[in-house]
Amino acid sequence: MHRLLDHRIIFVGGKGGVGKTTTAGALALMAADAGRTTLLVSTDPAHSLGDVFDTRVGSTETALSPHLTGLEIDPEGEAARHIDTVKASMKSLVAPKMYDAIDRQLELARHSPGTMEAALLERMADLMTDAKRRFDLLIFDTAPSGHTIRLLSLPEMMAAWSDGMLGYRDRSRKLGNVLTALSRDQAAEDEFGMLGHAADAPDDSRDGRIQDMLLARRRKFHRARALLTDPTVTAFLLVITAERLPILESKKTLDLLRRFDVPVLGMIVNRLLPANAEGAFLQERRSQEHQYRDEIDRTFSDLPRVYLELLPHDVHGIATLREIGEALATQLAQADAPG
Amino acid sequence: MAWPDVRKTLRRGAYLASEFYHAPYRGAVARAKRDEDDLFMLLVFSEMMGIPNPATYYTLELQPILLERFHTWHTRMGMEHSPLDDFRCC
Repeated sequence: MHRLLDHRIIFVGGKGGVGKTTTAGALALMAADAGRTTLLVSTDPAHSLGDVFDTRVGSTETALSPHLTGLEIDPEGEAARHIDTVKASMKSLVAPKMYDAIDRQLELARHSPGTMEAALLERMADLMTDAKRRFDLLIFDTAPSGHTIRLLSLPEMMAAWSDGMLGYRDRSRKLGNVLTALSRDQAAEDEFGMLGHAADAPDDSRDGRIQDMLLARRRKFHRARALLTDPTVTAFLLVITAERLPILESKKTLDLLRRFDVPVLGMIVNRLLPANAEGAFLQERRSQEHQYRDEIDRTFSDLPRVYLELLPHDVHGIATLREIGEALATQLAQADAPG
Repeated sequence: MAWPDVRKTLRRGAYLASEFYHAPYRGAVARAKRDEDDLFMLLVFSEMMGIPNPATYYTLELQPILLERFHTWHTRMGMEHSPLDDFRCC
C-alpha cells in the first residue's frame, strides 16, 4: 500500500461518518507536502471538505495549501448549466410562443431522478480526463457507499445506452443508404416522371449532429470507465470503523466495486481506541472493538489494511490533518502484506 | 422515326423499367427507415411519455434536434396537436 500515492486517481469511500473526508484530506495534504500537485474533490452533495480544512471551499477550485487545491462539486449547478444550454438551443429552433412550454418541460427534467447523478458523473468524468494536465494526483472524497456505487456503475450503464442509441442510428443510416441506391434518377424523373416527390427526404446535417453528440457521449463514458478500472491509474480506498454496521456495509460495497472491476487497493480502519486510554468504560468498549477488529481481519483478509487511532480532539484545520497524515504514512509503509 | 426520338424512347423505357422494379422496395425501405427514426425519436422523448429513462440527462441535448421530427410524427399519427400536455410543438 506504500504505492498508494503512485496512482493518479484515488477514491476514498465508505459508510457515512467513518471519516472519509478526514482521510482524503490527510492523504491529499500528504501528497501535496511531498510536492505533488493535488486536486481534492468532494462529490458528496452534503459537502464537508471546507469544514475539515476550516475554510470555505466552493464549486470553484480553491487553493488549500501550496500544492493542494480543493473543489466541492455542485451537481445542482452543473445540471442547471446543462439544462440552460439545451433550453437555449431549443429556443433557437421554435417559435417564441413555445418558450413557456420549453421552460416548463425542462424545469421538470431538472428535478427528474438521475439528473443530479448524471451531472455529478459528467463533472467527475471531465475531471478524470482533464485534470491530468494540471494535477499529478486527483483524490475523490466520495459520498456514502450506496451513492458512490451507483455513480461508479453509471459509466458502464451509460456506455451501454449510447451504444444502443448509436445502433438505432446505424440501422437508420443503412436503410438511408439503400434508399439512395434505389433513388430515382433525377434527370429522368424530371423528364418522364409522373409521380410526386419522395416524402421523407433524408436530413443529413441533422442525422450527423445526432451521431456526433452520441459519439462524444460514448467516448466520454468509455474513457471514464477505462480510467476507473485501470489499477495502474485508479485506487479505491475503503474507510471503515470497528463497528457492526460499517463492516456489513463495506462488505457489500467491496463486492459491488469488484463486480464493476474497480480496483480496491486497501482499507483504512479508522478511529480505533488508543492503547493508552484508561477507564472501565473504555475497557469494555475496547473488548467489543477487538471482536469487530477480528471480524474485519477475517472478512477483509484479502485487502491490505491500515489502522488509525481515534484522536483526542476534533479534526479541524491543516495542522491536525498533517498529524493524521504522518500516522497514515507510517502505517501505509507497513501495510503491504495482506492477510 | 428520327434518331433522337429513338434514344428518348429507349431512355424512357429504361426509366420505367427501373421504376417498375425499384418503386415497391423504395416504399418499404423508406417506411422501415421512418419506423427506425420514429423509434429513436420516441426513445429520446420517452421521459415525457411517462417511460422512465435513466439517460434523460443525455437525451435532453438531442431533443432540440428532434423537435421537428416529433411534430411530423404526431401529425402523421393523426394527432393534429402534440399529444403531450406540457410539451407542445405547434
